[in-house]
Amino acid sequence: MAATSMAAALAASLPAPSAAPAAAQPTYEAIPASMAKVVDIEAEIPLNLVQLDGMVVTKIIKHAREAPATTAHGLLLGLDLDGVLEVSNSFPLPNHGNDDDGKSAKSTARHQAAMLRSLKEVQADDSVIGFYQAMTLGAFYHQSLLETQAVHQERLRHGGIVIVHDISQTARGNASFRAYRLTAAFRDAYKKSNFSTTSLINHGLTFSRILEEVPLKIRTNPLLSAFLGKLTESSTSVPTLGEKDELASELGPSFSALDLGTGGMTKNLERIVEALDAYRTEEGNVSYLTRQIARERAKAENYVAKRKEENQSRVAQGLAPLPEEDVSRMFKIPAEPSRLDSLLLLGQMDAFGKSLEGTASTGLVKMYAANAGTHV
Amino acid sequence: MPVGSKSSAINVQLTTADSLQNTPRTPTSIHVHPVALFSILDHYLRRTDSQHRVIGTLLGARHDSSSTGGGVVVEVKSAFAVLHSETDEQVAVDMEYHRSMYELCHKVNPKEVIVGWYSTGSNLNTYSALIQNFYSQETAPHQAIHVAVNTGVEAGQEAGVKAFISSPVGVFPKPENCVFTPIPVELKFHQAERSGLDLLLSSSPSTSTSPTQPSTDLEILESAIVNVSDMIDRVLAYVSAVVNGEKEGDPAVGRYLMDVLGVGIGVPGGAEGEKAQGQGEKSGFSSALQDTLMMSYLANLVRSQAEVSSRLALTAIS
Repeated sequence: MAATSMAAALAASLPAPSAAPAAAQPTYEAIPASMAKVVDIEAEIPLNLVQLDGMVVTKIIKHAREAPATTAHGLLLGLDLDGVLEVSNSFPLPNHGNDDDGKSAKSTARHQAAMLRSLKEVQADDSVIGFYQAMTLGAFYHQSLLETQAVHQERLRHGGIVIVHDISQTARGNASFRAYRLTAAFRDAYKKSNFSTTSLINHGLTFSRILEEVPLKIRTNPLLSAFLGKLTESSTSVPTLGEKDELASELGPSFSALDLGTGGMTKNLERIVEALDAYRTEEGNVSYLTRQIARERAKAENYVAKRKEENQSRVAQGLAPLPEEDVSRMFKIPAEPSRLDSLLLLGQMDAFGKSLEGTASTGLVKMYAANAGTHV
Repeated sequence: MPVGSKSSAINVQLTTADSLQNTPRTPTSIHVHPVALFSILDHYLRRTDSQHRVIGTLLGARHDSSSTGGGVVVEVKSAFAVLHSETDEQVAVDMEYHRSMYELCHKVNPKEVIVGWYSTGSNLNTYSALIQNFYSQETAPHQAIHVAVNTGVEAGQEAGVKAFISSPVGVFPKPENCVFTPIPVELKFHQAERSGLDLLLSSSPSTSTSPTQPSTDLEILESAIVNVSDMIDRVLAYVSAVVNGEKEGDPAVGRYLMDVLGVGIGVPGGAEGEKAQGQGEKSGFSSALQDTLMMSYLANLVRSQAEVSSRLALTAIS
């Protein structure tokens, strides 16, 4: 799949995190005393805030809107300073669909390297700090996302972040950006690539503990906010109601939040049902495998018990006991199934439920608001 | 939505060129998307000390819009920076950089083609003409557009965006000579981009203090409803002022209000029809209400089931 290939491509192209700053450090001038506390070469200060630049916001929205379905993903560039991760630029990555793995992975890596080189030439930030992913209806628990993030975890300073952007919510007038990173528990389980039931219990992993949210802040640089201020400034040329001119802005108010249509709800319900079906199938698989394991184990135990009994009777008869054979070689006990898939499906279901809940609650408010208007 | 100050320039269009089928028509207006504009501003911020202005390539699409009298509308969808250097004697544009960057952008979004170039500052000079000449070759057979973004950082200049197309001048056309003809430029965005702009606008006054977490749908809805109710109050105040004779009514405003508000009040079938309609509305409302409540219940049910299921998975073997 394209997803795994993207992860592989990233792994191939990203520089090792320790190498770049450490190698470059001696050539820099000494860090001024005032900055010594906030500049950390070893990435020791933990991240507590992600700061998203206004340009990145528009870039992601544009890419997410134009790309088919939820295939839009790209890289985030920026710097971290004193616990604040500043995302100052981003660029989209090509979407290869279902091409053969190796080729698309390589071309993605090439694309990324070329893009970074080009951006460096025009003094833009060129250090990768994470990636963004578009999604609909709040469902971003996908294996591909986790895999990419797991690759970043090892390669990038601070393990990198992922910013998810909800297209459906944005269309309703609420541009939604959220920043996440993997939790320590999930990283540990992923490193051992062990998602068996016992591992889940040991790590206390539920779907809500796979990713942890990092607070996100939108920043517009002074030039941009000045420009925006200029755009929204009142223009006297538009005829309005007498002296109320100061309220009229060139941007005009937006009312997409007031749309009474509930078309999104049907889609949302469909997605929930799909996720439920997928979850049922997955559960069926898991329980089938569990039964299989139980059966094989019972067979093995049966055999051992029988052999013991036989040996006892042989000892009683004064014969030499038969050798204890290696049971595991005779009976293939299948490995315990990974519960990651069902975990993720549950997470998706929860996300769909959450967005449905949100739609329903705003729908209620809108209905009462519209109804209030008819009785005046 | 117009960007920048109104200019008194007349936008002269040579419409007779339409008869010649083989020459592409000249663009009549330009739509700039916020992404392109913001990229330009970001590039300007990242310029080196020695650069007075920065230039770059504009990507986008051209459409024929039959609604505006068959003019060609150029949509500028994104922009990327291009290296260049200007001295008193010469100007150099890194063409190789431009090409490779275009290749990269083209791979991600094949629909976007080169439509022209941008520069910051609004002074057009010989170098502008030379660069324009270069981009005209890139966009051939279409005409290249030039978008000049005034960032407004210099005193006495207003921030704004201007767009130009060029035509050769003189008996023997030379690359360094051309006439830049201004054409109208508008900032345009889709509904989805609009909400992003709202987000930026809401965050721009508070520069660095409070972390603006993504607001919930309900908050957005609340502000929209408050906005609408404010507007109704304004209209009401205006109408009552006119009715009381305190202010002279503007017929244009009155007609506009009639158009907007008259639709809901319209009485199509007399009193009985209104009554039946009211009842239909009521029953429709209550059934929709039940549906919505059901959805909310279902959503909660799904979420709690998912939560319970994931917790149970943790205690399966004990």
